[in-house]
Amino acid sequence: MNIFLRVAAFSLLMVAGFWGFASFGIPQIKPAPPPVEEKLDLGAMTMDQFIALGGKIFNGKGTCTLCHNKMGRAPMLDQIGKNAPERLKDGRYKGTAKTIEEYIFESMTKPSAYVVAGFGKSGTNDTESPMPVVTGGSIGLKEAEVKAVIAYLQDSGGAEVTVTIPAMPAAGAEAPKAEEAAPLKTAQEVIAKFGCGACHKVADQTGEIGPNLTKIGATKNKEYIRQSILDPDAVIAKGFAGGMMPPTFGEQLKAKELEMLVNYLAGSK
Amino acid sequence: MTKKRLIPRLLQLALIIIGVYFSFILLFDVALHQIIPKSLLTMYMLFVVAGTVMVFTFTEEGAQELVGPIKALVEDPSKKMLRNIVFVIVPLLAGYYTYTSMMPSFEAPMELRTIHPAPPSKFKAFGKSYNLTTLENPFRKFEKEDPAKFKELVKEGGNVYIKNCQYCHGDKLDGNGPYASGLNPTPLNFQDVGTIAQLQESFLFWRIATGGPGLPAEAAPWISAMPVWQDYLTEDEIWKVILYLYDYTGRRPRSWANE
Amino acid sequence: MLKRNIRIIGVVFLLAISAMFMLPAFMPAASASEAAAPTAAPAAADSAAAKTAAVPDANAVTYPPAPKLTAADYPTVSGVNPRVAVWLVAQLHLWLGAFVVAVPMFVFIIESIGMATRDERYDNMAYEFIKVSITAYSLTAIMGGLLSFSLILFYPDVFKYLALIFKESMFAYALLFFAESAVLYIYYYGWHWLQGGNRKWIHLTFGLLLNAFGITLMLLANSWTTFMMSPAAVDAAGVFNGNTWEAIHNFLWNPINIHRVVANVAYGGSIVGAYAGFKFLSAKNKEERAHYDWVGYNANFIAIAALLPLPFAGYYLTAELYAYSQQMGITLMGGVFAWIFIIQAVLIGALFLSANYYLWCGMGRSDGANRYNPRIKYIAIVLVAAFLVWFTPHTLVLTNSELKSLGGPYHKYLGVFGIMPAKNTAVNFLLTFTFMSFMFYRRANKIATVSWATTGNAIQIALFTMGLINIVTLGVYYGYFTNTVYKVAASIPQVLTTLTIIITSTIIDTLMYKGAKDVAPLHWGRMPARSQYALFLLAVSFTWLMGLMGYVRSGIRQHWHVSGIFRDASPDAYTPTLGYAANIITIGTIIFMAMVIFVFWLSTISGKHVVAKGYWKEQA
Repeated sequence: MNIFLRVAAFSLLMVAGFWGFASFGIPQIKPAPPPVEEKLDLGAMTMDQFIALGGKIFNGKGTCTLCHNKMGRAPMLDQIGKNAPERLKDGRYKGTAKTIEEYIFESMTKPSAYVVAGFGKSGTNDTESPMPVVTGGSIGLKEAEVKAVIAYLQDSGGAEVTVTIPAMPAAGAEAPKAEEAAPLKTAQEVIAKFGCGACHKVADQTGEIGPNLTKIGATKNKEYIRQSILDPDAVIAKGFAGGMMPPTFGEQLKAKELEMLVNYLAGSK
Repeated sequence: MTKKRLIPRLLQLALIIIGVYFSFILLFDVALHQIIPKSLLTMYMLFVVAGTVMVFTFTEEGAQELVGPIKALVEDPSKKMLRNIVFVIVPLLAGYYTYTSMMPSFEAPMELRTIHPAPPSKFKAFGKSYNLTTLENPFRKFEKEDPAKFKELVKEGGNVYIKNCQYCHGDKLDGNGPYASGLNPTPLNFQDVGTIAQLQESFLFWRIATGGPGLPAEAAPWISAMPVWQDYLTEDEIWKVILYLYDYTGRRPRSWANE
Repeated sequence: MLKRNIRIIGVVFLLAISAMFMLPAFMPAASASEAAAPTAAPAAADSAAAKTAAVPDANAVTYPPAPKLTAADYPTVSGVNPRVAVWLVAQLHLWLGAFVVAVPMFVFIIESIGMATRDERYDNMAYEFIKVSITAYSLTAIMGGLLSFSLILFYPDVFKYLALIFKESMFAYALLFFAESAVLYIYYYGWHWLQGGNRKWIHLTFGLLLNAFGITLMLLANSWTTFMMSPAAVDAAGVFNGNTWEAIHNFLWNPINIHRVVANVAYGGSIVGAYAGFKFLSAKNKEERAHYDWVGYNANFIAIAALLPLPFAGYYLTAELYAYSQQMGITLMGGVFAWIFIIQAVLIGALFLSANYYLWCGMGRSDGANRYNPRIKYIAIVLVAAFLVWFTPHTLVLTNSELKSLGGPYHKYLGVFGIMPAKNTAVNFLLTFTFMSFMFYRRANKIATVSWATTGNAIQIALFTMGLINIVTLGVYYGYFTNTVYKVAASIPQVLTTLTIIITSTIIDTLMYKGAKDVAPLHWGRMPARSQYALFLLAVSFTWLMGLMGYVRSGIRQHWHVSGIFRDASPDAYTPTLGYAANIITIGTIIFMAMVIFVFWLSTISGKHVVAKGYWKEQA
């Protein structure tokens, strides 16, 4: 027993030595806490996170980069801080904005208030913008999300960020999910909801980025139309570039909605 | 078996340990003019003591010779006087050591900075987001493809360096520029093997672009005086400076791809 | 007959190995993975393949993405910190498991040595080792059960996600566990029954099977762990593509496997050494002392032999980790965890010094050792010097006055020792000189009788000198005077040099001391008590070290359950400081030590018979 105690004491002493060295012999660096995940809890958000949220919307849900990219379909926004004041002074400006923040907000909600030269709808002499209103249609940004995008644009466009984080809880961001539960009733509703008209000329809407679909049924069958919706880049219509149309409609559309849309388009002759 | 030695083993042991201790101090503090940090010296001495004791005790005779005088001191009746003295002095020494090490001093507490903090996987600069794991120097490829152009780029980088960086980091890139003595921590010495030679170019880009304020939390305290260079230099200028840093010091950026 | 038996055991071995390789075949999509293997190389080809495969497949099972959890998804039990509970249980399971996997490996080898030399002592020692491990085996199983139980309890979503991907291998694991238990019990309880001639061969075959099962079990468990570090067969959202083999054979699987197998052997050796040390100290008579001295010597030999390649296995693992994710690599080596390697250096220092000390003390068993004693101090000097280099941190802890005096956090001379090439050189020196200690020990009791002994010695001295010069040159030249790219590359020729020294020198020694004459019979048991404490230190340092490295391995995932895919949203997602980790590791080590003592104690009471006179009634 004597030996056992001695060995145990020796071992404990050694362990204590290691413990002591690890605890006191070296500097204790406190690792950075895990980065906070972006939650839509606006109350607890810092401005950086809010801007990051805006960037995420800009590149994702807002679908802004479909056109505001380097392919020249819409003006680039990386110099907006410099450009906006000039545009506000421009004679063609029809809006009411006074500040950069207001200007960006106006551009997003009333796109035609100022159309950058060369980017208007063809035939309107730059008086009408092809841009959809971001708060409606398939994009449907909530107020807080619009503000986040403005903050992001100010931050990345070289302007001072003047947006204040809205106090409203962004539970609204979750709301659309509930709406999605019920399938839409008509093809027109589908077209309106998914914003087909932003790019295509279809069902009274006059997009110009994608092929005209008003007489699509005359030349193409249902199989082709269905494939074009589910896998847009499988066949590219002549005169149009690939990679433009979001490939995600297969995930967003319900089967019933898809069939309705295909039937509608196939019937447009 | 035990022959009479000129110096008793116990004294030998003590002399070796003390000798090694003072040779460290003599070597670094006096001969090389670069003091040896106390924390390091303590650990060094721990290993030295362990090693010496091991050598002195691995044979039975050696251990006996070493422990003998200590045993005698405690048990031998004729050494009563010495014993009493030792029994008084040892606790006093222990007390003195404890007192001096626990006594609050006026020195500012030790600060430890992580010099190469782990980079984030992404960071923002120039209004863009960079992915550090894939980021590469866009000009590095010219080193092989177009050496003349590469030389030109390095030269441009040198100009940027002389105009902006050398005030602190020195015209020899040794961290000893005209303003260096005013800064604490002192500017980084790029000639040291432990600095840029250990890092990838993307890491340098991150540190230059975001400067002291861009240090992550674990690199606290953020007392670095490094400016946020993305406000003063262009992206290309930073990449060129990085080319220059490696070119001048003759080091290569760390890379795992070429293995 | 010997030939036939070797043939039989060879066939069984091949069967066991092929059975292990068959395992993945039972898993779905295994064959598909082989077919798809060529496309796995370039990532671009992969994504292209993925695109063409995106055509809806009616048969494909769709897997859900990794769940996004909130703090509320983690069940709590009041008074229990989930992370600490899982941490401790997992670590204890690992310690016990490492011991239990390792012991059969060297028991198998010792048994075969016994069979080859017909020296019964080896057989007895092997039996004693397996006897010790058998109780540990059930403790391992209990801990394993406790671990899965606490995972399900505290991290249900994590377990669910992993089980979704690894369900087949988890099932195979359970089955294998049954098989291993059966084989272990036959091996242990049949030890004295399967003796002599063919029966002994059958017994040895069971030993081999036991190892095959044990290692396979460990490899499977490793794959789950490494999947959490370097996930494979899942996309960015964590959706599993159904290829189980790909998930098992993830990037870090093999590096961890190699590291763990080697480390387990060293660890098993050190624990058994502690057992022998304790038995030696409490031995009642001379024979017992002699026996346990001999057992302790063998255990220490096993530990050192496995310790020698371990730094290289660790180096390979780290290099692969860097290759997998630079961020993980820098987190490990340069960020928060950089200081861990300073603690590691201290612990490995304790390991090597105590192993060497044991060898030096062991020279006292021989009457011829006096010739070598004076040289020990030079070995000690080199060992200590190598340690000082290895220990020197890259970032020095400086007081403000020191900082000012140095003019910065970089030390002109000590900074040179702070980086990898210096440390690689130091480690190679350490290994070479540890080997030298062992060589001296072997030679201590012998006098070479071959005519070329002087030449042989000269060759060996030349070999060591050339090798060491080569190591230093490589380290200095590649480390400081060439491109950084080669810093990594330089370590490989250094390692090869060390291995060449060790292997060539062993061959020369074996030839030179063939038929050598003994100075006097070895005095087994003539060993000072303090040398046994070196064995305890070996075991304790090893245990603590494993706990520490376990913390790092798991910690570099940071706030992820599965790196980059499945985020840890629990309140414990933060990385604890080293001091905190040291507390947990220390508590774990103490619990483990208590368990090991219990296991050792059990193995002693089973041999005790108390005759209770007058208790049982007399049978007429």
